[in-house]
Amino acid sequence: MTAAAMAPAPYDPARTALDISILCLALAVPSAIAFGLDARTINEVNIWSKPLKFQWSFALHWLTVAWLVRQFSSPPVSAPSLRWWLRIGAFASVVEVFYITLQAARGRASHFNFSTPLESCLYYGLMGGAAVLMMLATTAVGWRLWRQTGPVERRTGLWLGAVLGLVVGSILTLLVTAPLAAGVIDGPGHWVGGTRTDATGLPVFGWSTTGGDLRVPHFFTTHLLQALPLVGWIADRRRSQRPRAWVWMALGVGMAWMLFTGWQAVTGRPFWGG
Amino acid sequence: MQVAMNLTDLTLPLDSMFSVANSTALVAWVVLILLPRTQVLRRLIQVLAVGGLCVAYAVLIQLFFFPVPGGGFSTLAAVQRLFAVPGVALAGWIHYLAFDLFVGLWIAQRADAMGLSRWLQAPVLVATFMFGPIGLMLFGLVVAARQGWRKPQLAEMAA
Repeated sequence: MTAAAMAPAPYDPARTALDISILCLALAVPSAIAFGLDARTINEVNIWSKPLKFQWSFALHWLTVAWLVRQFSSPPVSAPSLRWWLRIGAFASVVEVFYITLQAARGRASHFNFSTPLESCLYYGLMGGAAVLMMLATTAVGWRLWRQTGPVERRTGLWLGAVLGLVVGSILTLLVTAPLAAGVIDGPGHWVGGTRTDATGLPVFGWSTTGGDLRVPHFFTTHLLQALPLVGWIADRRRSQRPRAWVWMALGVGMAWMLFTGWQAVTGRPFWGG
Repeated sequence: MQVAMNLTDLTLPLDSMFSVANSTALVAWVVLILLPRTQVLRRLIQVLAVGGLCVAYAVLIQLFFFPVPGGGFSTLAAVQRLFAVPGVALAGWIHYLAFDLFVGLWIAQRADAMGLSRWLQAPVLVATFMFGPIGLMLFGLVVAARQGWRKPQLAEMAA
C-alpha cells in the first residue's frame, strides 16, 4: 500500500453536514408515526406537529449546507476552524431537535415554557444557545466558501447565492428570531393579537389567520438559505450574462419580503386570511 | 401555552402489535440460526427486523413512557410502575427483542470470523434469543477459552 493510500481522507465538511441532516430525518420517522396516533395537543394542534417541523427543516438546512459545500469542493473547502464549527453545529442541532422531540413525548411545550425553573432555563440556555451556535456554524461555512473559492467559481450565481444565503441568511435569521424568542412583542408566544390558538392556523404552516404571527418572517428569512442559491443556480443554468446580479436582486426582494411580513406580524395582521 | 392531555383517547391494538413484533423476531432468529450467512439475509435482519423493532420502540416510548405517574429508572418500584402500563410494557418487550437480536447478529459475525462451528453457534444463539445475557455470557466464555488455548500454542511456536 502506498503512503498516499495510507493517509487519512481529507476532512470533508459536507459529510458532517449530511450526517446531521440524516440524524434529524431519523428522528422524524417515529415522530411522524406518533403524529398519526397521539391524541395529545399543544395550542390545540397535534403535539408532534412542532417536532416534525423542526426535524424536517433542520434536515433541509444541513442538507443544503452539505450540497453547497460539495459544489465548491476543488480545492476542498476545509480548515481546522471549520471542522470545529461543524462539530459545534452538529452537536447544537441534534441537541435542539432532540429536546423538542423529548418535550413532545413528555407532553410539554418546548418554546415559551416557563412553567418550571428547569424548563425556563433550558428554553433560554439550551434551545436559545443551540440555535445561536447552529447559525454561527452555518455562517462559518459561508465565510469559508467566500474566502476559499477559486476565481472561476466566484463568477457563478450559485457561489454568490451560497455565500449570501449562508452568511446573510443566518445573521438575518438571528435578528428576526431574537425578539420572537424573547417574547418582547406581545409575548410570550408567536401570536400578536388575534386568537391565541394554532387550531385555526394555515394548513401545514399553522400561521395565525386571526392575528399577527412572528413565525412568518422567521420562515421566509430562514429559507433565504435555500432561495438565494436556487436563484443563482437557475441564473447559471440559463447562461445569464450577469448571474450574480440576479442573486443580489433576490436578496433585495427577500429582505423586502422579510420586512413586509415582519411588519404584518408586529402590527397584528395575519399573513393570509383574517 | 396550552397543553391538553387526553391519553385515554388513545387506543392502539397493543396485543396485535405484540404478536407482530414477536413473529418478526422469531423469523429473524430462525433465519440467523439455520440459513446461510449471506450479506442479503444479514441486511434484511438488520434493517427489517432490528430496524423495524427500533422504530416501533421509539413510537411507543414517545406515546406512553413519560405520562406514567411515578414512573422512572431510579428505583425498582418506579420501574414496576412503568411496566404496569401496557404500552410501556410492550415497548420494554420490544426493547428486549431488538437488542437480543442485535447481539445475536454480532455473535454470529464474530463466531463466523473465528471459525466457530454452526453446530456450536446454534445453542449459543438460542440461549441469546431466549435469555439474552446468558447467551452473550456463553459466547464470551467460548471466546475466552479459545484465546487461552491459542496463547500457549503461540508461545511454544516462538520458543
